[in-house]
Amino acid sequence: MPPVRSTVERMDKPSSYASSKKRRRYRDDDASRVSPEVEDKLKDATTLYVGNLSFYTTEEQIHELFSKCGEIKRLVMGLDRFQKTPCGFCFVEYYSHQDALDCMKYIGGTKLDERVVRTDLDEGFVEGRQYGRGKSGGQVRDEYRQEYDPGRGGFGRALNDDYGERDDYR
Amino acid sequence: MADLDVGPSGRRDRGNRSRGSNNHNFNRPPKRPRPDDSYMDDGYNERGQSQHDRRHRGTAVNARLQRMLVNIAGSTKLPQDEAMDIARQFGEHFDDEAVKTEFFDHLVQLIIEQPFRIPHVAAVAFYANDDKPEITAEAIKRVAGRTQEMLNAGQWKEFKLLLRFFACIQSLLEGDGVFFLLDQLFDTVVDLQSANENDVVGLELVKIILLTIPYALVSGGSSFYGKASELLEKTSIVATNRLPMETLVELYVSDSPEKPIPYHSALGLLQTQLEKEAESGWNFACIPRFPKYIPRKIDDDQPMPSAPRLHALPTIRIPSPVNPGPKLLFPEAYFSLYTDHELETVPKTTDVASSLLRDAIVDTINQLDGNRDEAARILVQLSNYWALDTFAPSGTPPDKLEEVAKDQKIPPGSTLWKSEDMIIDAIFSQLFKLPGPEHKLVYYHTLITQSCKFAPAAIAPSLGRAIRFIYKSIDVMDLELVNRFCDWFSHHLSNFEFRWRWAEWIEDLDRSNLHPKKAFIIAALDKEIRLSFAKRIRSTVPVEYHSLIPEAMDEDRSPDFKYDNPLTPFAQEAQTLLTLIKKRVPEKDIQETIDKIHEQAIGLDFKDVLVPSTDVFVTAICRLGSKSLSHVLSCIERGKERLLNIANTSPAARRQIVASVVEYWKDQPGIAINIVDKLLNYQILAPSTVIEWALGDYLGAGEALTEGWVFEMVANTVAKVSGRIHQIVTARLQKGLPAEQIQLVEATLTKDRESSRALFKLIEDSVSAVAQGSANHLIEKETNGELSAEDGQLIRDWAKRWQTVFIRKSQVEESVVGEEAVDAKIRLLAAEPEPEPEPESTSMHEGNGFAEHKVNGEEEMV
Repeated sequence: MPPVRSTVERMDKPSSYASSKKRRRYRDDDASRVSPEVEDKLKDATTLYVGNLSFYTTEEQIHELFSKCGEIKRLVMGLDRFQKTPCGFCFVEYYSHQDALDCMKYIGGTKLDERVVRTDLDEGFVEGRQYGRGKSGGQVRDEYRQEYDPGRGGFGRALNDDYGERDDYR
Repeated sequence: MADLDVGPSGRRDRGNRSRGSNNHNFNRPPKRPRPDDSYMDDGYNERGQSQHDRRHRGTAVNARLQRMLVNIAGSTKLPQDEAMDIARQFGEHFDDEAVKTEFFDHLVQLIIEQPFRIPHVAAVAFYANDDKPEITAEAIKRVAGRTQEMLNAGQWKEFKLLLRFFACIQSLLEGDGVFFLLDQLFDTVVDLQSANENDVVGLELVKIILLTIPYALVSGGSSFYGKASELLEKTSIVATNRLPMETLVELYVSDSPEKPIPYHSALGLLQTQLEKEAESGWNFACIPRFPKYIPRKIDDDQPMPSAPRLHALPTIRIPSPVNPGPKLLFPEAYFSLYTDHELETVPKTTDVASSLLRDAIVDTINQLDGNRDEAARILVQLSNYWALDTFAPSGTPPDKLEEVAKDQKIPPGSTLWKSEDMIIDAIFSQLFKLPGPEHKLVYYHTLITQSCKFAPAAIAPSLGRAIRFIYKSIDVMDLELVNRFCDWFSHHLSNFEFRWRWAEWIEDLDRSNLHPKKAFIIAALDKEIRLSFAKRIRSTVPVEYHSLIPEAMDEDRSPDFKYDNPLTPFAQEAQTLLTLIKKRVPEKDIQETIDKIHEQAIGLDFKDVLVPSTDVFVTAICRLGSKSLSHVLSCIERGKERLLNIANTSPAARRQIVASVVEYWKDQPGIAINIVDKLLNYQILAPSTVIEWALGDYLGAGEALTEGWVFEMVANTVAKVSGRIHQIVTARLQKGLPAEQIQLVEATLTKDRESSRALFKLIEDSVSAVAQGSANHLIEKETNGELSAEDGQLIRDWAKRWQTVFIRKSQVEESVVGEEAVDAKIRLLAAEPEPEPEPESTSMHEGNGFAEHKVNGEEEMV
């Protein structure tokens, strides 16, 4: 029997970012669809990428919120490549896949430190991925950002950079 | 292989078309034109063209019908018109197997996922019966299949919901229809109850029977009143019997005269409500009605349609033994924040509508946890799904209900319940469900947040009334619930700029810190600060509160290192040690300094010299790791061997580890809790060490029991131990475990079970001594006047509340991992048929059409 489709779209699906590069090449492809191979990689995922944090948000704050979905095994702060200071993202690793899914459903899209944080299932932290990949050391999205964001270092640091936030942690 | 020579456009086309059939988003308007609506075959495949056309038409019909079905009653259209429309349109395509399959898949899924819509889904089958009874027959067959599956699996909620579908088409069923099955279910209840006096599965079945009757009577009409009364007479003994374990699920201190709502067993209440409804003629006014017969366009020469075709309810076999199911069953308390108040904003507890609506709302909440946005959206439309004139217009303030009714000429006799109150009431019933709700507590937090976002003007005032109601009686609320409330409150405010009218509670600041209200305020501010930072939280509260937020926390720096003060004993050694650890010197150099501390400590009359040296060492670790959790973890890892040694050598030094961490982080207990938790993971601390410290060394005269973070630390430690045992039980309950493995697992289980029991006993011994006033320190402080009689009484009350919580936790554990419980599960496992090969799809794949992606050409494209 094929899997029964829910009458509402679920929020704990692996998001599309893991295949974002592929998608950029095939813009006609549906944005919400995740390729089976990616989905396969994420089917036991216990790690989440957490984005849109303020630079000032601490590990403790993240811990306080994210442990509402289960015990946290590891928390890796995203750092500016040069200054080694927080640059607005992190990886949260749980002990169980279910906790990671629950986090997608219950915490993704809610506020931490008065900012709406974004969560995405992630295939797992690898050393090196904690650093920003923008030219000036932070996340790429903060290079080109035209709006003033006091929580993320003011205006973008280099507006004419390549674009695509996902490059930061891939 | 005609596909091989197509150009890019053809390939893209393929992708597009398959998207149309695989990626529906039923509840929202499509962002782009649906490819299946606008699709033009570009003729790349001559041979398949007509076939494609047909298939395409199929998918378009599919999509339209499903959209109509899953959105039924969600708009301003009359639900019966929608139901008839769907029935008619589906009838036109009934010969298309693909359409048929998908339609019924959705129909069944909708029943399970969106309980509000069950009467409407049933109405589709009901109206279809006029022109195309095959639809009704097939729907009955499909739903029955799923019903049997759920019954076999002990999935009681799903079973109940599917049964409700049958109840809603009772008028189309032959003979006694659904009552036949209800009778059978009751026979099973009798068997279960006579076999075990503490049986809870039987209670669950009675609940299902009682919640099915109203829908069956609305559909079946007066000819079934007798059957219903008969059943109700039989269920009475079971439903109104009070089990000893019901004390455990009470929300308020059971013997307190101050509790704001008396204890109601949800089941007992339902029974009496139904009996009352029977007396007043089985009205069930809130359940939506679907007119029996709407004359269609009738040609003069066509005869009037005869009586509807009746269908037999398929046989549904109740398995023996009954599978109790995967969830822990407990008697349920009925709780409401708004009921029986002066202004009737929700049904009275005597009204069966309170149970019917609550049941449907709670199921909706719990079934839609996969998408909190949709859950909230459906909840705020509550009034759409029930009979007209059940609810007041959305957002009506409680004191304006009468006025609005007059203005809008709402017929007299209509009820004017506030849907917002009912939603918040239902969510809090889950947040406050003991021993625990179906999902993680944070789901209910986030659902409230979401509902506030959808309907701020309507929901926010209701929420404010809820908070006030809870706060008012927080003194007598179950302590676990107080902590849940505190956790929710701080989390909720963190999503709304920490806005709350703190001014209302200012007078409670004059109370003793031991008073439950003051203790709540302190704990809530602490939790807010944990999610934010001290300066920010201070800016959100009136100045009267500022003294509760230590100034020291404002500055972005580490807490003081007590050995910076040269007057602190061992200050010099501590400074040396700090430098040594920072430099990562070899162990023996550190030992030298420790030895120096020991030498001095002997002179200073310390009973155990390891205690002061541990204090220095652990405080230094905290100081060095104060920058963040990662920092302290890396320091702990470096000192791990030494810490393990300390812990294994001296019980007093072991407890000192906890003491030093807590002392260092005294202004931010959340961080201390975290560090202690990690120390448990490293097995540097044993769970009993944490309890011995918190409820021993730190207990004082019992003041510790009033601090939210102490409760949190103890509860977390207990939860960690329980979690581990649950894992072991899960391992034991794997099918086909080899004999030697079984032995190994059981040995671990026995050992851990014993230490868990010892842990609960430790807690019980400590808090019961305070509760009874026999704890030494308490007696001492009361005698020498350090504690007023009033404060002494407050402490004793706190201790009683602690006792209730941990007795409950211990009994819940026994019912999950106790010998008897595990043996029963093992017997059930043995009785199960051999498992079929693992199905390909897991829960992860459900709901996103994973399996279909493989065949739609995605792989070729990338």
